[in-house]
Amino acid sequence: MKKLFDRVFDGADEMFALAQKALDETIAELGENAPVSMPNTAYHLANHLTYFKRQIMSLKDLRAAFEEDKTWNIHEPDLGSVFKTGYATFAAAEVIEACKYAKSDDPYNGEYHGHLSDAEVRELGVPLVTNDIPGFVVIHGKAPTDEEALELIKGYQARGIFVFLLGEVIAQARRLNMNMGFPVRVVAVGPDVWQVAHIISFVNRAAMIFGAVQPGERWDFDDYTFWRIHAFVNAFDPVSDLVVSCGAGAIAMGFPVITDDPKDMWPVPKSIIIQPDTKDFIETSLEARDIKLKITKVDIPVSYSSAFEGEIVRRDATRIDFDGSRFDSLEWVRMREIHEIEDHAIEIIGPDVEDFEEGERVGLGIVAEVAGKNMLTDFEPVIERNFHNFINCAEGIMHTGQRDLIRIRISKDAFNAGFRLRHIGEIVYAKIKSEYEALIDKCQVKIYTKSEDLKELRTEINKVFDTRDARLASMTDETVDVFYNCILCQSFSPAHVCIVTPERLGLCGAVSWLDAKAMNQLDPNGACQVVTKERVVDEHVGIWEDVNENVAAQSHGNLQQVTLYSIMVDPMTSCGCFECICGIETYSNGVVIVNREHTGITPLGMSFSEMASMTGGGVQTPGFMGHGKHFIASKKFMRAEGGPARIVWMPKALKELVAPKLNATAKELYGIDNYVDMIGDETITDDPEVLMNHLSEKGHPVLSMEPLF
Amino acid sequence: MALKGLDIFKLTPKTNCKECGQPTCMAFSMKVAQGSVQIEQCPHMSEEALATLGEATAPPMKSIKIGVGEEEHTIGGETVLFRHDKTFVSKSLYGVSVTDANADEVLAEAAKVDYVRIGEHMYVELVNVAFEGDKSAFLSAVKKAAATGRTLVLDVQDGDAAKAALDLVKDTKPILNGANPSNYEACNALAKEYGVVLGVRAEDLDALYTTVTALEGLGNKELVLDVGGASIKDAFGNAVKIRRAALKDNDRSFGYPSIVNVAKLAPGDERLQTALASLFTSKYGSIIILEKMDYGKALGLYGLRQNVFTDPQKPMTVETGLYPINGAGENDPCAFTVDFALTYFIISGEIERSGVPVNLIIPDAGGYSVLTAWSAGKLTADSIAKFIKDEGLEAKVKNHTLMVPGKISVLKGELEENLPGWKIVIAPNEAIGLPKFLKEFVA
Amino acid sequence: MPFKHNPQVFSSSIGETVLGTGEKALTLGGENVWSLYSFDGAVKNPPAVGIEFSDQGPDRSLPGVAAAYEGAETLAELAKKAEQVPGVQFVAFRLAGSDPNGDNESVADSVAKVKEVADAISLPLVVTGSNNIDKDAELLPKVAEALQGKNALLLNAKEENYKGIAVAAVTAYGQKVSGESAVDINLAKQLNVLFSQLGIKNENLVENLGQGVVGYGFEYIISTVERVKLAALTQNDAALQIPVISPISTEAWTVKESLATEEEIPEWGSREERGIGLEVSTAVASIAAGSNAVILMHPASVATVSKLIAELV
Repeated sequence: MKKLFDRVFDGADEMFALAQKALDETIAELGENAPVSMPNTAYHLANHLTYFKRQIMSLKDLRAAFEEDKTWNIHEPDLGSVFKTGYATFAAAEVIEACKYAKSDDPYNGEYHGHLSDAEVRELGVPLVTNDIPGFVVIHGKAPTDEEALELIKGYQARGIFVFLLGEVIAQARRLNMNMGFPVRVVAVGPDVWQVAHIISFVNRAAMIFGAVQPGERWDFDDYTFWRIHAFVNAFDPVSDLVVSCGAGAIAMGFPVITDDPKDMWPVPKSIIIQPDTKDFIETSLEARDIKLKITKVDIPVSYSSAFEGEIVRRDATRIDFDGSRFDSLEWVRMREIHEIEDHAIEIIGPDVEDFEEGERVGLGIVAEVAGKNMLTDFEPVIERNFHNFINCAEGIMHTGQRDLIRIRISKDAFNAGFRLRHIGEIVYAKIKSEYEALIDKCQVKIYTKSEDLKELRTEINKVFDTRDARLASMTDETVDVFYNCILCQSFSPAHVCIVTPERLGLCGAVSWLDAKAMNQLDPNGACQVVTKERVVDEHVGIWEDVNENVAAQSHGNLQQVTLYSIMVDPMTSCGCFECICGIETYSNGVVIVNREHTGITPLGMSFSEMASMTGGGVQTPGFMGHGKHFIASKKFMRAEGGPARIVWMPKALKELVAPKLNATAKELYGIDNYVDMIGDETITDDPEVLMNHLSEKGHPVLSMEPLF
Repeated sequence: MALKGLDIFKLTPKTNCKECGQPTCMAFSMKVAQGSVQIEQCPHMSEEALATLGEATAPPMKSIKIGVGEEEHTIGGETVLFRHDKTFVSKSLYGVSVTDANADEVLAEAAKVDYVRIGEHMYVELVNVAFEGDKSAFLSAVKKAAATGRTLVLDVQDGDAAKAALDLVKDTKPILNGANPSNYEACNALAKEYGVVLGVRAEDLDALYTTVTALEGLGNKELVLDVGGASIKDAFGNAVKIRRAALKDNDRSFGYPSIVNVAKLAPGDERLQTALASLFTSKYGSIIILEKMDYGKALGLYGLRQNVFTDPQKPMTVETGLYPINGAGENDPCAFTVDFALTYFIISGEIERSGVPVNLIIPDAGGYSVLTAWSAGKLTADSIAKFIKDEGLEAKVKNHTLMVPGKISVLKGELEENLPGWKIVIAPNEAIGLPKFLKEFVA
Repeated sequence: MPFKHNPQVFSSSIGETVLGTGEKALTLGGENVWSLYSFDGAVKNPPAVGIEFSDQGPDRSLPGVAAAYEGAETLAELAKKAEQVPGVQFVAFRLAGSDPNGDNESVADSVAKVKEVADAISLPLVVTGSNNIDKDAELLPKVAEALQGKNALLLNAKEENYKGIAVAAVTAYGQKVSGESAVDINLAKQLNVLFSQLGIKNENLVENLGQGVVGYGFEYIISTVERVKLAALTQNDAALQIPVISPISTEAWTVKESLATEEEIPEWGSREERGIGLEVSTAVASIAAGSNAVILMHPASVATVSKLIAELV
């Protein structure tokens, strides 16, 4: 087998020979002082400007430049030299094309596009930079059949990928009356390999215009093309040495080459990929260049809009009732390896809607299998929780519940409009791919309706839930490297910043540390950002220098410091949407906690809304603090003041909600059994003095604690 | 720095005697800190505690009361330089300036400006009477001005004329805006004699400062500071420097409300006066005197003032109820939104623009915007349905179509359950989409 | 006893953005003192005042407007009249006809109009598109292309369409662009960060923080502008050190106070004076809060506001 490097060098020599010949002939014909330029560009011969900072005006200039080109055609067997030779090949190709343009402004007579004007560079450059055009492909050679050529071009076109054609593929497309041209995003550049110079010129000018890259700064060009220009090459069998040498240049720019020619070809991951089946060129290419396509539409036969989110499908209007309260049902986002997933595959395992009686109640399982470079198993529940919104927005479909307690109804109208189980899959697929674009590269959906499958799956998923819960329980503020902030509420409480930690979720109760982490991954500039916790001041009460700096910056200077685990010294502020407020009860030296739902008075002599009016608005009010319900049973809950043993009163409903976890925490921290029973509630009293009697009777630990102030 | 509730609590007797009207000492302390209850309401505070608290809670800028009865106004008492830091408490007052020659005309025109907007009475609160050397003309003008019943500002540095004018209007607690570095002792005596607030002016801030401290030395702290009329630039600079000295640098000798006479700063240029009045409404003018007032100036100026002096913590609200728009009657569809004033104005404005008759229903939503009210549980299918039933709207309007703000379309199902027989329609997410939506809806 | 004045000069300053070219070029921003506080330190570039007219022509039912544009029929003639209004430092042109919910004029037609206006004037040009997200995404890049060499400002790239507009306007065709956010300091900051991630520098940006008119929740606008400027000046927040522009004209002339005719509400008097009053009050309050440029419709408003600025700085 011929070595790849040798193929590059031989190809380059071929190109240089062709260039020399063209240059000599043209000078002989026009004289060395004849001007040479490409039409409608301010960048001279852009490839020579890029590589050699040369502003070529005449054939004499071109000849001098070509001598410099040759110094890059170095046959050393190292990667750097091979890449340089690739660029030299592009330069030589530009010499050949320049000679044509020296003789005529329009050497291709409209038959081929040839040179791209600066205006075209700008027009195409904008959507490329903004990703509205996800990338471009250069297709070279002759497809096995005309039909396959057309199918490939149209496949790219349908995905919004810009197509440049070189060589015989143009004739193939023309034979099948393919409509081509800049407006339809398929450009027939030229009949030979060396017209590639125009495409490279386009790329180099884009780097100069959009990336402000300076001529001669080769590394900056490489960097720009690798990160910003999502291009790749499809080269049909046979791939000549000449094409291989151009491929070296393409690879140097970060553009992979995908070919069906295995002869003397050396696969290199992400750079040279042999895909024997040209029908798979598109998927292989997109994956090789990491191009993700945007999903904009949910493909279902009923309307899809948030207007239908609150719609209720009544019993008599129901075609089928998937009822998780009676039959095993579940929804599950499951992370997989990328190769285990066929993107957009939707599989129905079991009977579909029409196979059931009208109004029948059965079970349903929706399993979305996802993979992506930034995906973590921790994000599974974050995505899963959104199934409710995803599915509910379809007209005539109602969804309630989550995990293995779901209910989905499909209305008769939706069924008559053609809605089937596959469409639930379409919704889940489209929404996951579009809303979690930054996390998910591939997604497939399986929908189960057979009771035996569902039973088995439910057992499996319950194990997953246990694992997840255990993971959450094991995650403490100490075991993570960073916290997150959340400034979602600043629109109405501009001075407030939430610091979200594993043990302390946002005070609204809606944003956990994992949610914040996922939100940050999805939108790094959004409402949740990383807060480092490297410079510890006092880990016991929860003070970090970096946390303070973050709070100061995010509150625009309104807050200077917070003590995460204290309610007395620099407590965390509240926006106003807290689930609960705790406030000190001075008789007992403890705290009263009241939740939003409780409308009565507390032993402090204040109701929830009175306390809320004092605690909201991003103001630190020592002695009072807003928090989420789940924070109550945390070991970090006012740890600076002694922890949950300070709790002397809570509404009964709240007590019942937090009892299992709070009892466990109290047992662990203080060795007390049934701690919650010691805490007062409204059925016992809302008077502070009566409350004191209750605490004494029960032997509440707060009575032996230090005064709060 | 305002005291925290906890600091106040430490000074209370901690007996929960309830004599202050609050159930516990803690509740009392929190409310004092919040400013909704006065510390004096606790009968058991020690003198020492009161002194400590008095010093700490004394405002950096005096609140001054002028006028009497329904025409009594409070100016000053500000604690912050930017409204978002807390709130501006005393709105700027507007006045027109008269002389004997123009009083009838100016006062008649100004009297026309009299309307209510979002619960606030908009009118010209003050009349400034300028002394121009002729005492009898001045007194005649004072009489005309006094006849309006509005609170007066006597712009007079002549002791004799001032005394004569005060004799005429002493019971209405006007401002005697006449003290300067050379006459302040006499003016002070007059102000004390008649029990009125004294306005102080000087050619520059140094002289003003000296005069104010001298007046304070004479025991007068019922002052307003005239920012002067030498130039627009000086007047604005003075207004800002005075307010900033008081609030930022804690210099209490400049902790008084200001008076700005834009009539003197831009005589004859009414539009420039509008501009100046807007400037001083934004930045630190307590009393603003113009040559004239009419709706051309007032609609913008009073609107600005209403906005600037809104408490950021307490959104402006409109009254709940049914608002027929574009002549809507019982056969026209209904829509609802929240009682947050801004939302109401925007929605009603867009409905007006559409020309489509709509019965706009405003339930109690706690003064929040649509999404906030919904997420705070202040705007629910229950609360809307209850409002519609309690107000008897089902009988009042025969067209049982109810448009729901697009952002809370999630309520549709529950509304259908709570309001049987009503057709629930989802309106657009944004108000700007309403005209198109409504036109298509009735088409 | 002398009064102790403590001037407030900040160690950070707002960035500068230049609009237009040549002698008439206009620099916005650059200040390191609070807006209009020339007694604290020199105000580097005083707030600028621009006049706006739309492709639907001026509202000649207002005598002051009719007089200013008298005899002007074509867009070029209107533009020339606009730039001659006393106090005008830039001309704002609104492509109202491009609105898909209105005339939905073609991009080519709108671009031709902009060209006509741009070629007629020497003052810097500010262009407002349809304010429809999708239409602007298509229209504004073409406007930017047509205005190459003019260093114009294109208004209102929003979070949903900023990419294409900003890259085309600034990177491809050398114009300036203004983001528009919805009266929220964090949204403003987020949009500016997104611009910087596209490689667009502050010197090519202006920000519209969301506009309203006095009486209509204007307190939110005051507080947003003030907070943005405080963060920029006191916290050295680079993502907010961008000049603020306040497009007031359409807001001021589309509320009941300026729309109601004298027949409808006789006691309110002249509609023209009411509109001018709203425009002037809104402009002055916006500038006092920290805005670096205001766009007004009525020549009298322009004259009044620019006169006030000249008196103050």
